[in-house]
Amino acid sequence: MPSKPKNEKPELTVSEPAAGGALVRVDREKESAAERSKRFERDALQYMNQLYAAALRYTRNPDDAHDLVQDTYAKAYTSFHQFEPGTNLKAWLYRVLTTTFINTYRKDQRRPQTSDNEAEDWQLAEAASHTSDLGKSAEDVALENLPDSDIKRALHEIPEEFRIAVYLADVEGFSYKEIADIVDVPAGTVMSRLHRGRKQLREKLTEYARELGYVKGGN
Amino acid sequence: MNSISCSACGEWLIPFIDNQIEDSAVFNAIAFHLQDCANCREQLEIERRTITVIRALLTRSCCETAPVTLQEQIAHELHRLELEQLAGFTQTEIIRSYRRTEITIDGETQIEIETSHEIRRDFPQI
Repeated sequence: MPSKPKNEKPELTVSEPAAGGALVRVDREKESAAERSKRFERDALQYMNQLYAAALRYTRNPDDAHDLVQDTYAKAYTSFHQFEPGTNLKAWLYRVLTTTFINTYRKDQRRPQTSDNEAEDWQLAEAASHTSDLGKSAEDVALENLPDSDIKRALHEIPEEFRIAVYLADVEGFSYKEIADIVDVPAGTVMSRLHRGRKQLREKLTEYARELGYVKGGN
Repeated sequence: MNSISCSACGEWLIPFIDNQIEDSAVFNAIAFHLQDCANCREQLEIERRTITVIRALLTRSCCETAPVTLQEQIAHELHRLELEQLAGFTQTEIIRSYRRTEITIDGETQIEIETSHEIRRDFPQI
């Protein structure tokens, strides 16, 4: 049995991340199954919290997020021999997470997809950014006062493609190229989803702030 | 001269802020344009502020930790998969060779059989 934490602190890290991983040369040909298991536990488990937080945004509920992360680790473990040591393991795990989500969890959801009306969203967002020119920094302060629950709610309300792009860029700090690879779309598409997603998110947040009376004006 | 139009600049504004422009000629053209164009600079500031606020809010609020039950289930699942994998690799084939010695003395035959060597071979299970 691999040693697992019995306490509530999710500190599963055994060795230091990226830097150490890159220095250790791994010969996948000679590596035994047991050694590969050890390497997986050492390198991949440290991202569990991050993957879980992402899964919560993807699925929008804790039960599915739980299952998604568990499936992700099982899949990543069994295909770990395909991961090229020295490349970005975190991005690879996010790719497994995202693919698993799209193939498994999204199938169940019958939700309108966004691709058809992306142009209209874009124009709406443009229009809104021109009309809501009220004291910007005051508005920023108002947004900062919003509770975490409202911020998550706003993120959950924007279309899935936008939500994933914004999350990967602005929370995880992945580059356009990395996101393109994770989501499996061209980098140009990532850029426009990101732009529209941020605009919509900002509008939602402003709307909530207005409802709470943090921001004056609007309708 | 690296002069570009406002609309071209607008198209590159977001990747410019995100620091995702790899082509240095494009990057410089935008930087030059922004130096000269107050409108685009203003637009840049608006976009930059939106991105900064969103980043700050999201990183602040999206930082849940994996529940202990999830950690335990993953550890358990990985252990199960590991055993499955190991079981697959410890299928062993044993090949033995025997030496048979027959000695006949005064019409009485004595046969002796002993193991000469043994090969153990591990191979993966399909």
